[in-house]
Amino acid sequence: MEHSVEYAHATGLLGSVWLLVAIPLVSAAILLLLGRRADRWGHWLGVASVGAIFVLGLSYFFSLRGLENRSVELSLWDFIAVGDLHVDFGLLFDPLAAVFVLLITGVGFLIHLYAVGYMSHDAGRRKFFGFFNLFVAAMLLLVLGNNYVMLYVGWEGVGLASYLLISFWQDRPSAATAGKKAFLMNRVGDAGLAIAIFIMFATLGSTQFADVFNGAGALQSGTVLAIGLLLLLGAAGKSGQFPLQAWLPDAMEGPTPVSALIHAATMVTAGVYLIARSNPIFSLDPTLQTVVVSVGALTLLMGCIIGAAKDDIKRVLAWSTVSQIGYMFLGVGLGGGAYALAIIHLLAHGFFKANMFLGAGSVMHGMQDQVDIRRFGGLAKYMKITWITFGLGWLAIIGMWPFSGFFTKEPIIVEAFARGDWTAWLYGGAALLGAGLTAFYMTRLFVLTFHGPKRWTEDIAHPHESPLIMTVPLILLGLGSVVAGGLMATPVASWLTPVLGHGEHHEPVLSHTVITVLSLGLTVLGAGLAWLLFRNGTALVEQPAGPVVRAARRNLYTDAFNEAVFEKPGIFLTRALVFLDNRGIDGLVNALAAAVGGGSGRLRRLQTGFVRSYAMSILTGAVLVVAAFLAVQLGWLA
Amino acid sequence: MTGQAVLAAAGGVTGGEQITFWILAPLALMGAIGTVWARNAVHSALWLVLTMLCLGVFYVLQSGPFIGMVQIIVYTGAIMMLFLFVLMLVGRDASDSLIETLRGQRIAAILLGLGFGALVATGLWRALGQADAVGLEQANANGNVQGIAALLFTRYVFAFEITSALLITAAVGAMVLAHVERRRQDRMDQVATMKARFRPGNYPGPKPGPGVYATSSSVATPARLPDGGLTERSVPQILPQRELSEEDKALKGTEK
Amino acid sequence: MDLKLPDIDYAALAPILVLFGASLVGVLVEAFIPRKRRHLTQLVLGLLALTGALVAVVLNAQDRVVTAGGAVAVDGPTLFLQGAIVVLAGMALMLIGERSVQRGGAFVAHAAVTVGSPEDQRQAADEGGATEVYPLTLFAVSGMLLFVAANDLLTMFIALEAFSLPLYLLCALARRRRLLSQESALKYFLLGSYASAFFLFGMALVYGFTVGAGGTGSGGGVDFGTIRTAVTDSAASEVLLFAGLALLSIGLLFKIAAAPFHVWTPDVYQGAPTPITGFMAACTKVAAFGGLLRVLHVAFSGASWDFTPVLGAIAVLTMLVGAILAVTQTDIKRLLAYSSVANAGYLLVGALVLSKDGLSSTMFYLVAYGFTVLAAFGVVTLVRDADGEATHLSRWAGLGRRSPLYAGLFTFLLLAFAGIPLTSGFTSKFAVFGAALDAGQSWLVIAGVLTSMILAFPYLRVVVMMWLSEPGESTPTVSLPGGLTAAALMIGVVATLVLGVAPAPLLDLANGAAEFVR
Repeated sequence: MEHSVEYAHATGLLGSVWLLVAIPLVSAAILLLLGRRADRWGHWLGVASVGAIFVLGLSYFFSLRGLENRSVELSLWDFIAVGDLHVDFGLLFDPLAAVFVLLITGVGFLIHLYAVGYMSHDAGRRKFFGFFNLFVAAMLLLVLGNNYVMLYVGWEGVGLASYLLISFWQDRPSAATAGKKAFLMNRVGDAGLAIAIFIMFATLGSTQFADVFNGAGALQSGTVLAIGLLLLLGAAGKSGQFPLQAWLPDAMEGPTPVSALIHAATMVTAGVYLIARSNPIFSLDPTLQTVVVSVGALTLLMGCIIGAAKDDIKRVLAWSTVSQIGYMFLGVGLGGGAYALAIIHLLAHGFFKANMFLGAGSVMHGMQDQVDIRRFGGLAKYMKITWITFGLGWLAIIGMWPFSGFFTKEPIIVEAFARGDWTAWLYGGAALLGAGLTAFYMTRLFVLTFHGPKRWTEDIAHPHESPLIMTVPLILLGLGSVVAGGLMATPVASWLTPVLGHGEHHEPVLSHTVITVLSLGLTVLGAGLAWLLFRNGTALVEQPAGPVVRAARRNLYTDAFNEAVFEKPGIFLTRALVFLDNRGIDGLVNALAAAVGGGSGRLRRLQTGFVRSYAMSILTGAVLVVAAFLAVQLGWLA
Repeated sequence: MTGQAVLAAAGGVTGGEQITFWILAPLALMGAIGTVWARNAVHSALWLVLTMLCLGVFYVLQSGPFIGMVQIIVYTGAIMMLFLFVLMLVGRDASDSLIETLRGQRIAAILLGLGFGALVATGLWRALGQADAVGLEQANANGNVQGIAALLFTRYVFAFEITSALLITAAVGAMVLAHVERRRQDRMDQVATMKARFRPGNYPGPKPGPGVYATSSSVATPARLPDGGLTERSVPQILPQRELSEEDKALKGTEK
Repeated sequence: MDLKLPDIDYAALAPILVLFGASLVGVLVEAFIPRKRRHLTQLVLGLLALTGALVAVVLNAQDRVVTAGGAVAVDGPTLFLQGAIVVLAGMALMLIGERSVQRGGAFVAHAAVTVGSPEDQRQAADEGGATEVYPLTLFAVSGMLLFVAANDLLTMFIALEAFSLPLYLLCALARRRRLLSQESALKYFLLGSYASAFFLFGMALVYGFTVGAGGTGSGGGVDFGTIRTAVTDSAASEVLLFAGLALLSIGLLFKIAAAPFHVWTPDVYQGAPTPITGFMAACTKVAAFGGLLRVLHVAFSGASWDFTPVLGAIAVLTMLVGAILAVTQTDIKRLLAYSSVANAGYLLVGALVLSKDGLSSTMFYLVAYGFTVLAAFGVVTLVRDADGEATHLSRWAGLGRRSPLYAGLFTFLLLAFAGIPLTSGFTSKFAVFGAALDAGQSWLVIAGVLTSMILAFPYLRVVVMMWLSEPGESTPTVSLPGGLTAAALMIGVVATLVLGVAPAPLLDLANGAAEFVR
């Protein structure tokens, strides 16, 4: 690295950046500790705390703009001090953290508001808001930490909150299972992150961002590669990327606001944040970048293909999230200027995906919690606001001009074509194909839900529009879907320059115009095809289909693969270990325990309760101590 | 003051001192053993008095007349006598069993005690066998009492003051553990007392004194009633009743 | 003859004097204030006095003096430990002063009333406890403050007695199970006197050693400076020194409850009123270790090569005995007693490391352990049925269902005892073992880690019992704590958590204080 990374110390208003984490944490503590006493007003406290930190975040953002270096560091206290290891409880507020703070608090606030309405009939609403605030606190800690350990604490915190919220309706077996699945698959990724942090400490002696980034250049290339791959494993786990993507669609068992906030807008993008934050490490090794790009490209295609075969409204959206994060991984993998593009896409995605999830929630709210798009249809007439806002999100995600997706996805495709060698065709082609497929399945979703003939189940007479408290966030997010991309594209890129640096710009192998025309063309083609196929509805039950569709319905056999490659041998190994454990180790341990217990029982008999026998014990000790002292001193024993 | 000065000046061990020591030391040891050995608490206390008296004499011999006198006056004279009074007032409780129930306790205790004594004694013998005693002149330079006073008011003044805390604690502790404050509603006025006295079933007259006989005048001997029977009311309840032996009951030739 | 009276730095002695004065006032309160108002008066007086003492400690923070004719040393460790004792005593006083959990508090009104008589049942039912416990507690605390500051053996001995005597008395004053309580007090008193006798004997021998070491003509002494000089450059026979040190250490090891001098601990902890048990477990331990640290670091540091193996063996034995015996305990108070024995072993490991690290980590451990153990006994006071506290472990089965909050708090405290990370138990064990490793005492650390593993078993057994058993008929209820117990409990739990998460400030404080004046 030619330039060294340094952060100024936080002063003035920015000295209180810790409030961002503290406020939702305190609110969560109040909600969870007060119990039923807080049932009446608890949800408003939850909303207010997130609203407050949004305002705070805005003011911090504006004070950051005035600073020369545009980054401040705040060291609160020495978190861990063990030998050479010093970990600050420190926060870093820089442009990257700032945009994440605004996304988390802004979108988070709207979703909190929406959840007040969505969860109004749920007995556990206060608990829900407690977990929700806990999530916000952990997520903010994740993006604000100034070292990898703080990041890890936040990382585990959001994992915990996500687990709690996925299995929020824990009396449903599917929700409980999904929670466990998410937890376990995340552990795999977390282990990677943890080992990466260990390696950093072992080789660099520090986990502070500044020390790691300044020191990474001097490391051996193998070490850098190891750290990078392990970080990538962590990122893939959290962001539902190949090969750890399977938990994310199952996570839709949680309440819809959870899906919107955690599993679409914020937490799942933590992987992207991790790689973007660690850009000095990833930029060191081209192999590493290629791996990231490949993961991104593979996942984005997988997400599209599976998404096209699913009939559950939230799962389709979940697979589209997987696919869109694939685009972001593609971006951060390409490096250079594409880091910023990925972050911009992430922000825009946060808006339109949250919007669509909330729209889906609104549909479910009106349709008695049904999720099967084959049993929707014609809802446009009954839910006007939902229809319009969902439509805006749909146009944004398929990248139609002038909606936000166009301004954010398009540059990533261009950048993919700008890789120097033949791989440009590979990754560029994948990205382009993905754009077309996205248009296809999203249009399928949109049309089947809102247009065509009604295919409702008998028990639904009058679907209704959701209350105001749910539609207002929808409208605001819908507006965001329209304008966010266009407004943010250029200013955010320059805003992020201090963190992500300037990338050298390669010329794409195809001209810019050609790519734009191709992508728009493919989008229109995909959307049109879907319109033609599905405008008259679809079959109400699953139809036999060709191998590709069957594979897509089975998640491209990734679950089966996991089962065959990891689960079965795992179970076998566990059984073998249990056998070994029962016979060998337990035998040893039990013998030891029996020895301790027996010794304890025997020693206990010395404790007779008679003071004379106690006095004798003291006298024995006295004789021994005096004898030992004199023996040691005078060598009487020798 | 002269005797003290002589002793203080002597420094070394004189013949008289040796003789006194060899007479009193076995006595002191005997007293200590007797304290543990005696079955009767009063005897134990008396054995202890003997040991303390011997120790007091030792202190005086070693040019510590003040501590020697304090030992005799305060410990032996005041504390142990008080102790004896209490023992006699309360009376020896005959129900206390002195049979050792713990197997091996006595043997082990004796062995350990001897072992500890031997250990410390041999250690001290090795350390002090050849050493000469020093520093007595300086310690008693201005007189023994003055020397102690000087230490108490300079080096150990704070420790001396803090002993007051010990004494107050002890006094408060005695109060807390022994004193029962009667509640106001439990206090009886004259009328109530009289009513209780003449309640049916209560004998209003004074209790008879213990029996007085030619051969026994112990408070533990019950008095005889006019019908010749014994009355328990004449003996304090905490004392075991003394049975009259055949000899006690026999006519003494004074009945004419 | 002219005497030069010693200068006495009253400001440096202020914490001791404030508490001493307050306990005298407390005795007067017993005499002059009507019975009804005594409880409140005494409680307020006690808390004010402790606050005053704490303020005095804080104001003295920079003092490094030896005063009162060399008898008292006010230096970093003194002030740190005095502060710790005062704060912990404040928590204990809150538990002692609690009257809403049990009518009349944990203490008997008239200890002289025959146990089980109708009068006794009446006083157990509705009479307020004896208020003499407050001045007695304050006497004990002032004795402890002097004990950690004592700079000669004689002052130390007086201080030892001054804080022991009130404790003997307090142990006898339980409201329920009075025979057990009186028995425990008598045992404690007899064995305590026995151990004191050893201490005195040792003191005499050490005095003899210093006289001999000084050569003909110079007087000896029992102040630590003289002993230190004598130990460092002595031509005299060291038999006196080591026999004396051995006997002295027996007296101190008795107080810290190290094996085999721990025998009184389970009986006394079980019999004493629970707030007093907590007070002993926290404050006595701090005071006794404070004295031991000063003796080892200041007076006998020149002989460390000789005493470390012996005292190290005692530390190992203590850890083993505490851990192994805790396994089969069936009474929660006895379990905690054995746990305190084992912790004495861990503390002894730190005390044997005669470095700045060893000193500061031991002091940190003392504070951390004090907070946790007081909170634990605070919970014990709350788990009760019609007959008072339900201390048998079988009664705790299923407590997690009955009262998740208190079972949860207790679980947290047990995890802290077991040394699980993010609790103070982890950081303090880590600090002490780290210091011992640095000093090359790895055998002590190995023993410490092994016994910690054994010790985790009884703790986890209680946890499992509370959470995984169904509550039975006999599972007692948990009383709602009054404000005082709640406050003490909260302080203890929060301190346990904070010292586990962010131990640095207190560690820094202990580090800054870890220097004796010599």
